[in-house]
Amino acid sequence: MRWATRRHCHVDRAACAWLIRRFLEAEAEFVFVDDPDEVPHDATPFDMRGADLGHHGGECSFEAFLRRYELDDPVLWEMARIVHEADLADERYDVPEAPGLDVLLRGLSMTRDDPELLELAAPLFDGLYEFKKRALLLGREPS
Amino acid sequence: MPNRRVSWVLLAYRLPREPSTPRSGLWRKLRRLGAAQVLDGLAALPLDARNREQLEWLAEEVVQAGGEATIWIGELATAAQERALASRMAEAAAADYRSLIADVVVARTEPVGQRKRTLGRLRRELRRIRARDYFPPPERELAQQAVEELGALVEETVA
Repeated sequence: MRWATRRHCHVDRAACAWLIRRFLEAEAEFVFVDDPDEVPHDATPFDMRGADLGHHGGECSFEAFLRRYELDDPVLWEMARIVHEADLADERYDVPEAPGLDVLLRGLSMTRDDPELLELAAPLFDGLYEFKKRALLLGREPS
Repeated sequence: MPNRRVSWVLLAYRLPREPSTPRSGLWRKLRRLGAAQVLDGLAALPLDARNREQLEWLAEEVVQAGGEATIWIGELATAAQERALASRMAEAAAADYRSLIADVVVARTEPVGQRKRTLGRLRRELRRIRARDYFPPPERELAQQAVEELGALVEETVA
């Protein structure tokens, strides 16, 4: 299946793409467009104006994915708080990881194109997932 | 030096009078972004990918709340108008820095434990102001210094 999003990805889109490949469809193909009108008819749009998988009720697109696909893994919801703050910085959550993640992804977007950005961000999100999973199981910061 | 104008992204919007929650929510978000309110219903930010994206999502929220919103990209016609807008935005940031500096002065007289917590809060506040400070006024450096000095004071008393 094809998925479409806006060009020049930042943290929310990179996290959504990671989520799609890891939890929804390993072979997912991504298309990058400038405008909602350019979304191919066979592609599912995300993190774009007018898309169901976008920002709603003050939540970011990553949170929309978790709701829509009923991914109730608490580790993913923990990551959702980080992505939310990295993307929106509205201080809904107290997550010190967010400003760092924001800067890392913004820096990558300055030096790499979108497909490369998604490739490079994926192991970062894998690591974040693993860290948060262990933290949740241990009830403390894993070492 | 060639005269290079700042490009702006603008949000033009109209929201129903009632309910007032979307209106105050939008106002809060625009303020957090450091947007200049050009007119009632017209907010401007220097154009970059992040600001554009943030305003696009706000436009979407306005529409979802039953209002109308459009996104514009533009520049001011004269350098003088641009300077006026930039200095208005710099003055807003300067006021925020000044009130932060006043908070630092109060914190210096606080008991040790409380002072440490206040330091954390003021560091976050400094980060928030810096993130929306597009035309840095001299107060930026002063606020930075004041918070660093408070940090050094906390270190001293803890050591």
